[in-house]
Amino acid sequence: MTRRRARLVTTAALAAAALALVAAGCGGSSKSSSGGGNETTTSGGTSSSGGKTFANFRIAYDQGIDFLDPGLSYTVEGWGIMWNVYLPLLGYKHANGPDGATLVPYLAQDMPTVTNGGKTYEFTLRKGIKYSDGTEVKASDFKSTIERDFKVDSPGVGFFGNIVGADEYGKTKKGDISGITADDATGKITINLNAPQGDFEYILATTFAAPVPPSTPDKDQSTTPAPSTGPYMIKSYKPNKQAIVVRNPNFDASKFDGNVPAGNPDKMTIDIIGDDSVALQRVISGQDDYDFHQIPPDRLSSVQQKYADQIKVYTPANTYYFFMNVRVPPFDNLKVRQAVNYAINREALIRVYGGLGQPTEQVLPPTYPQYKKISMYPYDLAKAKQLVEQSGDKGMEVTVWNHDRGSDPKATAYLTDVLNKIGFKAKEKIVNSAVYWTTVGNQATKAQIGFADWFQDYPHPLDWFDVLLNGNRITQTHNNNYSNFDDSAVNAKIEALKKEPSLNSKVNGEWAQVDKMVAEQAPWAAFMNRQFTDFFNSDMDLSCYINHVLYQFDFATICHK
Amino acid sequence: MAQPATESEFTLDTAAQLAREEGGGGREIRGRSPWYLAWRRLRRNTVALLALLVFFLIVAACLLAPVFANHVAHTGPNANHVLERVNVDGQPTPVLSQGGYLNKKTLQPCSTGGSDCKLFSSIPIGPTWFSGGGRFVLGADSNGRDVAVRLLYGGRVSLFVGVISSAICVTLAIVLALLAGYFGGWVDFIITRFFDLFFAFPAVLLGIALGSALAINGFHHFGLNIGSGSIWIPTLVISYVLIPYVGRPLRGQVLSLREKEFVEAAISQGASPLRIMYSDLLPNVASSVLVFFTLIIANNIVLEAALSFLGAGVQPPTASWGTLISDGQTLIVTRPWLSLAPGIAIVLTVLALNVFGDGLRDALDPRAKVRVEH
Repeated sequence: MTRRRARLVTTAALAAAALALVAAGCGGSSKSSSGGGNETTTSGGTSSSGGKTFANFRIAYDQGIDFLDPGLSYTVEGWGIMWNVYLPLLGYKHANGPDGATLVPYLAQDMPTVTNGGKTYEFTLRKGIKYSDGTEVKASDFKSTIERDFKVDSPGVGFFGNIVGADEYGKTKKGDISGITADDATGKITINLNAPQGDFEYILATTFAAPVPPSTPDKDQSTTPAPSTGPYMIKSYKPNKQAIVVRNPNFDASKFDGNVPAGNPDKMTIDIIGDDSVALQRVISGQDDYDFHQIPPDRLSSVQQKYADQIKVYTPANTYYFFMNVRVPPFDNLKVRQAVNYAINREALIRVYGGLGQPTEQVLPPTYPQYKKISMYPYDLAKAKQLVEQSGDKGMEVTVWNHDRGSDPKATAYLTDVLNKIGFKAKEKIVNSAVYWTTVGNQATKAQIGFADWFQDYPHPLDWFDVLLNGNRITQTHNNNYSNFDDSAVNAKIEALKKEPSLNSKVNGEWAQVDKMVAEQAPWAAFMNRQFTDFFNSDMDLSCYINHVLYQFDFATICHK
Repeated sequence: MAQPATESEFTLDTAAQLAREEGGGGREIRGRSPWYLAWRRLRRNTVALLALLVFFLIVAACLLAPVFANHVAHTGPNANHVLERVNVDGQPTPVLSQGGYLNKKTLQPCSTGGSDCKLFSSIPIGPTWFSGGGRFVLGADSNGRDVAVRLLYGGRVSLFVGVISSAICVTLAIVLALLAGYFGGWVDFIITRFFDLFFAFPAVLLGIALGSALAINGFHHFGLNIGSGSIWIPTLVISYVLIPYVGRPLRGQVLSLREKEFVEAAISQGASPLRIMYSDLLPNVASSVLVFFTLIIANNIVLEAALSFLGAGVQPPTASWGTLISDGQTLIVTRPWLSLAPGIAIVLTVLALNVFGDGLRDALDPRAKVRVEH
């Protein structure tokens, strides 16, 4: 159950964010953005499309789209498009800042009724909702969609493992998931869980849970998009070339109580561009309206100078880190893992990324109310060398893994040099980004150490600790716990906190404790919370700009001058 | 005075003697080998010799890379100097300038935004041209690595791949060409179909496909264990994909030679096929092979650069001229020297080898039209 990407959402007025999110009962991130120092957006209001529609929004996208199938996509690029295409029962407010972390009913009439000690969730489907092909959305479509996720080997199936009967269904793919019942006549959907789960509503808001017609084939539908329920539908998708998104003729915003805006562009032309400089140039020259890529670090000043009003800077809830596989020497040795943490200079790594980031040594990003700053590993090369000497693993061969996209390979080059300096024989292994995560997530690879980043799937500490560091969730393939970190004390704490129905100050303190426990065992060398840029051409009206805590820039609500 | 020889005893020496007599005691005419004659022709080709000198200078510079790295630049090819400063004309200059989203006044990072914050570029130091005491002569890349040091080390790798892959390619091509040309029949059929199979794919695309596949897990077959990061991967891939481009024209020459009288004579005297191929055929294609070898080194250096640029050749952090161009690509606007320097090195090397190869071809066989084309 992975979600990694080139980028994501949110910055924050930390205090405001923390307060708002605690109030909302969730961990999360907030956002404020500034356009070249001239502009700050903190509004939490949802946008409407009244009178602001325009013909075509042209986007210079990157190559990160994995799938455009809601059951399969697990990247920012995929979710960014599908947020406005496939609607789950619950979803997030289309709003800037902490307000965006608020869950609202999308296809469901109301928020669920939770009974049976947090183990039963009941929804009622909105009436009269149709797919883009004109067929009516039924309650049973939700059940068949979750079952389809299992059939297509969706990376999201791990989220649904707590539903009664889901595990058995996952193994056999026969019968049905007994824990989900649906009544098409009344639109009632009931979900029974094996145990209470504090983040379950957030899981139901993921794209994996967005209903598609039951006739949707049990295979990747990226190039033959499934009918949609949202304001838009995917008209066509040519991988690595272009995706065209147009209005869904059967979408009626009035049926969603203002929770799902109709959107301003009539059409979105998403051009997939491989190079940052080319994408920037396309926007500058007016060929595209929005640059999804990052502005090349050496061009920041010149772009700032000429186009200050067209830039937005934001810090999503993200953590960049090097994983160390505790099952493979030399990283099965705590001293070695600590040595790596001491040896990397986080300021240097940030500079390698063009300076856009903040140093970190821990799992949770600072936008989370559970965040408590950890300063355990100051840069100390001598101490690192000493620890490696003591470990008895000096001189061992180490392979540093990474993918080939963006600035990330530069981090590997830095780490390789550092590992050589502290006494290892390190070399790099750079593989294509399309296969990198499945390669390092496969136990057969036995990847020793490598690059990883994480952007939240939903604003809750479980999305970090349970998905990435719970030893009980280690899998043979598609493993997100690249470190294979399996500490019984940490596992027990995560499992206990998972049952907490809400996040209060006591629970938040417990999560902070988990963060510290992980840092002490050093399965990661976390190094940065990265900042990102959004760049628009001068035709766009950025007063409509919304940067969502999860989906980052909201394509649907942007306005044209 | 010596007696003139009879007609049946006429030899080259006799001719020389006659010439001496006719010339009234002129110079003695010696029998010259084709290699000597070729050398004499090459010696007169100043441009070709100059090109050879340029190539040797480049090779020498690359071989001296450790000396430059240790005694002038004081750094290794993969050492990162991200946060360091270097004195340029007495001024401490950051190797990689501090960029990012910073406060305009304090230059401290902005985490929450505001009117005082703006974006600053992060740019590596440009060429110091020895005003930095030998450090960063050609500037630094975005990891703060010394480009001049990497250029020289990268040259070693590029030249190694170019020369060794050419040697392997030409050796295998000779063997296949001799077998196909001499035996003909089904042996020729199989070998030429093998060549055809390779011709069906453009060499660069085939190289990318093989290089990308082997870059992940390396090559572990037929008793060979080559790791994924080894420079033997691009070396073998390049030598492999170019075999038919050398083998096919050589096979044509062998086919032609196979019908000559001296081969028929050797066969009639009971010489074994191996002996005929080694003693009669090989020497007759040697001049073409030598020219091919020279030209294909240049070709392979370019191919290595192309594959490495596309990530299917030499793997990081090992530097090669191709990877250096790729590394510099993202900074082409602000630091063009990062890509220009290895580009110029490739152009000079390839130009030198091509000019010398052409001169060598003219010297060895002025009528020959040896070309490496794909």
